[in-house]
Amino acid sequence: MNNSSHDHDFILRLEGVTHFFDQRLVFKNVNLVVEPGSILLVAGPNGAGKTTLMNIMSGLIPPSAGMVEHRASRDKYAFLGHHTFIYNGLSALDNLRFWSGIYGLRLTEHEHLQLLDMVGLKAFAHEKAGNFSRGMSQRLSLARVLMLKPVLFLLDEPATGLDPASRDLLREVISAGAGDGAAIVWVSHTLKEDLDMADRVLLLEGKKQAFYGLARDYRNQLYGTSLEH
Amino acid sequence: MGPLLNIRFLCLTHKDLKLILADGSGIVQPVLLGLILVFVFSLSTPIGDEVSAQAAASVFWLATCFALVLVFNTLYSIEETNQARTGLLLSPMPLQHVWLSKAVTGLILLLLAQFFFFPAIIVFLGQELMTGWWTFLGTVLLVDWGLVAVGSLLGALSQGHAARESLLSVVIFPLLVPLLLAGIRMGAHFFGGADDGHLSAWAGIAFAFGSVFTGAAIILFPFVYNEY
Amino acid sequence: MRDSQLINTGIPALAVLGGLALAAAQYFIWIYAPVEATMGVLQKIFYFHLPLAWWGLISFFMVFCASLLFLITRRSVMDRLAQAAAETGLLFSGLALATGSLWAKAAWNTWWTWDPRLSTTLIMWFIYAGYLVLRQSIDNPQKMRALSAVLGIVAFLNVPLVFLSARMWRSIHPAVFGSGGGGLEPEMMTAVMVSIAAWGLLTAAILLFRVRQLHIKDRIKTLYVF
Repeated sequence: MNNSSHDHDFILRLEGVTHFFDQRLVFKNVNLVVEPGSILLVAGPNGAGKTTLMNIMSGLIPPSAGMVEHRASRDKYAFLGHHTFIYNGLSALDNLRFWSGIYGLRLTEHEHLQLLDMVGLKAFAHEKAGNFSRGMSQRLSLARVLMLKPVLFLLDEPATGLDPASRDLLREVISAGAGDGAAIVWVSHTLKEDLDMADRVLLLEGKKQAFYGLARDYRNQLYGTSLEH
Repeated sequence: MGPLLNIRFLCLTHKDLKLILADGSGIVQPVLLGLILVFVFSLSTPIGDEVSAQAAASVFWLATCFALVLVFNTLYSIEETNQARTGLLLSPMPLQHVWLSKAVTGLILLLLAQFFFFPAIIVFLGQELMTGWWTFLGTVLLVDWGLVAVGSLLGALSQGHAARESLLSVVIFPLLVPLLLAGIRMGAHFFGGADDGHLSAWAGIAFAFGSVFTGAAIILFPFVYNEY
Repeated sequence: MRDSQLINTGIPALAVLGGLALAAAQYFIWIYAPVEATMGVLQKIFYFHLPLAWWGLISFFMVFCASLLFLITRRSVMDRLAQAAAETGLLFSGLALATGSLWAKAAWNTWWTWDPRLSTTLIMWFIYAGYLVLRQSIDNPQKMRALSAVLGIVAFLNVPLVFLSARMWRSIHPAVFGSGGGGLEPEMMTAVMVSIAAWGLLTAAILLFRVRQLHIKDRIKTLYVF
C-alpha cells in the first residue's frame, strides 16, 4: 500500500494476523485491506485456513496475534457461508422476521415480502424452510443478509452445491452490491471462473500469505508461468 | 436500548416456543419420561402401603430434573442445525439475551411438564395437597427459577457431543443437589403438612441458589456460548 | 518458560520435604499422641482423614481460582492447574470419604451417616467427577478449556449452599468431633497439625508434578507440527 492517501477509506484491515489452533499454526502474518466497492478473492488449497480467516474477519474469533481493524459497524456485515443459519421448522417469512428482530430492525410485513421477492422466494413465503432445496435455502440466507443493507459481504464458498440459477442470482446480487459501494470478500473454489470479477486476490498457501495483490497481476503470474512450461 | 432489549429476547423465546410446540416431541418426551418415572416409583411400595410425602416430593423433583435436561438439550440443539448459533454470535445482540431467553422458554416448558407430573403424583402416589395453591405454585416457581438458571447456563455445554443428554445429566445433577434438597423438603411440607420449622430457611436456600446462578450465568454465559 | 523452571525445581524439593514430614507425622500420630479412651487405636484414622478432607477441599478451591484466572488470562498453564487440582481433589476427597466411612462404622456402627461434612464432600466428589468427565468428552481443546473453566467456577460457588443445605437436611445436628476440634487434647492437636502440614507439602508436589506431566503431554501432542 504505497498510496497512503486512501488509508482512511477502508472497511476492514488486517495487519500481521497470525492464528494458531491449539498450538498448531494455521497461518501467519496475513495483511490485507478491504476497500469499499472492491472484490477480494480468497483462494488456497483445502485446510489452508480460508474459513478461519473469514471467521477472523467477521469478528467471530479473535486472531492469536496481529490486529483486525473494523471501520464499519459489525451489524452491517453480511456473512454467507456454507451454513445457512436457517431454521428448518420455520417458514421463509418467519425466518426473516426472526433475524430482523435479532438485529433490532423493525421491518414491516411488506418489507419482508419485498426481500423474499428479491431472491425469488415470494411464492414460498409461508412454506417451511425445511422443504427447501439447497439453492432455495441459500437464497433465503441471501435475503437474510440483504436486509442488513450490508457494507461488507463475507462469502465463504456460498455457491457450493447451488443450481446454476441460484448461482447466477448470487453473482448478480454481489455485483450489484459492489456497485453500491459494498465490499466483497469471497472464498472461492472455482478460482479461474471467478477471477474476472475480482479486484484483488489473496492466496493462502503453506501456512502463509503466498500472494496478495491485484487480480490482474495474479492472472499474469498464473498464466505466465503456465505458458513457460 | 430498553425496548430493543425486550424485542430481541422475545424474538428468541417466540421462535423457540413456536418450533418446539409445532414439532411436539420437544415437550412430549420430557412429559412422558416423567410420567413413567412416577408410575414406576409407585411400584416401590407394597400395595396398600402409603408413599411418604417426602418420597413423593423427591419423585416430583426427580422427574422435573430429567425434564430439565431434556428440555434444555432440545432448546440449545435448535441452534445446531444449519449453525444458527454462528448467526446469533454475529448479530449485535448481547449473548446474555440468549441465556435469558432460553431460561424463560425452559421455564414455560418445565411448568407445562410439571402440570402433568403433579396430578400423576396425586393419583399414583396417593398424595394430597395440604396447603393453598398459591404458596405451592410460588414454591415451585422459586425452585424452577434455580433449575432453569443452571439449565440455561450449562445446556449449551454439551452441544455437538454424541451423548449430550447423559453428559449434561452427569454435570448438572450434582450441582442441583442443594436446590433439590430444598424442593423436596418444601414439597414434603405441601404434601404431608408436616412442618420441620425450616420452611422459610429452605425457601432462602432456593432463593440464594437462584440468585447465585443467575449472577454467575450473566457473567459466564458468553464464555460458554461464544466458543466457536 | 518461567513457569516450567519453577515447577522443575519445586517438585523434588516439595516431594522430599513432604516425605520427611509425613514420616515425622507418623511419630506424632502413633507415639506422641495418646490413644483415645473410647475408640482406641481406631481413632488414629482421624489423623489421615482430616488432612485428606482439608486438602481435598483446598484443591477444589484451587480449581476455582485456576479456572477464574484461565478465563481472565487465557494462559494454558492455568487450565492444566485446574485439571491437576480437580484430579488431586477427587483422589483426596475420595480417600477422605473412605476413611470417614471406616470411622463411622467404628464410632457409630454404620458405614454412612448424614453428616453435613461427609455429605458435602460426597456431593463435591460427584460434581468434580462430572467436571473431569466433561474435560474428557469434548474434542475441541479450546472449547473444552473454556467450558470446564466455567464449570470449575460454578462448582465452587455451589459449595456454601451444598454445606448449608446438607446441614439443614438433618435438623438434629450430631456433634461429631465437637466444633473446630475443641474436644481434642493438646497432643492430639499437635499431631493433627503436623499431619496437615505434611499432607500439604505432598499435595503441592503432586499438583506440580501433574501440571508438568500435562504440559509435556500437550507438547508431545503438537510435536509433529513443529
